[in-house]
Amino acid sequence: MRALVIDDSRAMRRIVSGILEGLGYETQQAGHGREGLDVLDGLAADQLPDLVCVDWNMPVMDGLQFVSAVRSNPAWRSMTIMMVTSESEHTQIVRALAAGAHEYVIKPFTADAIRDKLALLGLLPQEAVL
Amino acid sequence: MTVIDNGERRRGSDARPVISDLIDEATVESIAQEAWISLVGEDEVLVPLPGEPVTDPVSSWVDVVGPWTGSVVLTTGRRTAEELTRALLREHSPEVLEDEDVVDAFGEIANVVGGNVKAALPGSSGLSLPDVGEAPALRNPADLCRIELQWRGEPLSISVQGALPALPAVS
Repeated sequence: MRALVIDDSRAMRRIVSGILEGLGYETQQAGHGREGLDVLDGLAADQLPDLVCVDWNMPVMDGLQFVSAVRSNPAWRSMTIMMVTSESEHTQIVRALAAGAHEYVIKPFTADAIRDKLALLGLLPQEAVL
Repeated sequence: MTVIDNGERRRGSDARPVISDLIDEATVESIAQEAWISLVGEDEVLVPLPGEPVTDPVSSWVDVVGPWTGSVVLTTGRRTAEELTRALLREHSPEVLEDEDVVDAFGEIANVVGGNVKAALPGSSGLSLPDVGEAPALRNPADLCRIELQWRGEPLSISVQGALPALPAVS
């Protein structure tokens, strides 16, 4: 399974990617929403990630704008989007889900929290289930 | 009866809250402890004791803009910030840390702590991207919630400090 991790913090990209790779994902990274869209634009339909983990507050294009852009493109509708962010107000969570995010993980998080969310979404790679 | 509008009532209703009305030290410490365990490591604890004065300080902060406006500022020594960066990056930590690595990792810790402080405040607020450098000046000493901690024996402080000048005293 493939994942795209979008966060303006390199440290956070490494942490999230490390967790996903430990579960069996192949990962790609981007530093903001615009860069994330560029990565997706460059991929063939059968190479699109199954999962996109995206931060909210980022320069150039924030996570909410990214989610809206992805959801407006029918070719990208199959991807599951999980927001991973320190924005933890209820109203913000509602906004993200209304824009088209499937799940929401609040920083700080544990590896188990990511794993549990993926299990709920049916996105745990087979090797992580066993 | 003649009523003279001297503005006092409006000043009273427009009065901005100070941070001690909205959040206490225990809540800030709890947020920081949770961030440390998640980001820095499961066995990493912050000891709620003031340490020696910080030498060669560096700060990371985020600004909160809303019903209360101010900054959430983490301050520690530069070497401690580097150690924090290595702890955060774990096996991905480069042999030689660059300033950019410290700015990124120390800033992300401020982002996580600040985001959760923002969530604990009433009303809806905006959060800035993190910044790293010399701490923003303290504008109003009465609008400050500060905790002093130690991590691995080194001092670290977290200040939730108002950005606005003091309101004129209501006579």
